[in-house]
Amino acid sequence: MRLFSGQRAFVLQRLTALVLLAYVAGALLRLALGAPPELAAWRAWAARPAGAALIALLAAALLLHAWVGLRDVVLDYVHPLALRLAVLGAAAAALAFLGLWTALILVSHAL
Amino acid sequence: MSARPVFLDLRRIRFPVGAIASMGHRISGVALAIALPFAVLALQRSLDGDSLALAGWMRIPAALLAWAAAHHLFAGIRHLLMEAGIGSSLPAARRSAYAALIGGAAIALAAFVA
Repeated sequence: MRLFSGQRAFVLQRLTALVLLAYVAGALLRLALGAPPELAAWRAWAARPAGAALIALLAAALLLHAWVGLRDVVLDYVHPLALRLAVLGAAAAALAFLGLWTALILVSHAL
Repeated sequence: MSARPVFLDLRRIRFPVGAIASMGHRISGVALAIALPFAVLALQRSLDGDSLALAGWMRIPAALLAWAAAHHLFAGIRHLLMEAGIGSSLPAARRSAYAALIGGAAIALAAFVA
């Protein structure tokens, strides 16, 4: 898990923060340009590879950002090693489940 | 345990505005992480064409979540700018901490009355 700890976690947290910031700016810009899309247009957009990829990138950035943040909080406040590992494991499993669920939603919607 | 002095009397520890903004960033981050399953559920329901309408009592958790998102965004931008050396002097940092707190509260209020 070296990828998700130490300085890499610090960098990952900031990189994903910038990605999420870009999504917020994009969403605000889209709302400023006109009314939100109708259901049919939204469904068609999310079924296209580009749309699904944009949603998948958002989910990945959110879940990775959440992992680094939750990990920081747990390392600061949960000190007994067994409990710490249990909480970290539960958080990692929950985030991985949400990632798989999102992938499943996107794939089944595109098919 | 070490013998160094520990001073954790919460009534006497001072919380400058930067500490409050920073603590809010943590609390809002944990709240947003807890809300992630609902975000995925909302994506699923929205793509299925199901209604995303909220029951009346959901206005309060929705406003709290709006606060969490807004405060986390504002305080996060503040931290990123300060890491880039922008606004990290004490007076500027105190001003931006107030701005993040007020901005988050304003958006929560707007979400509640909207």
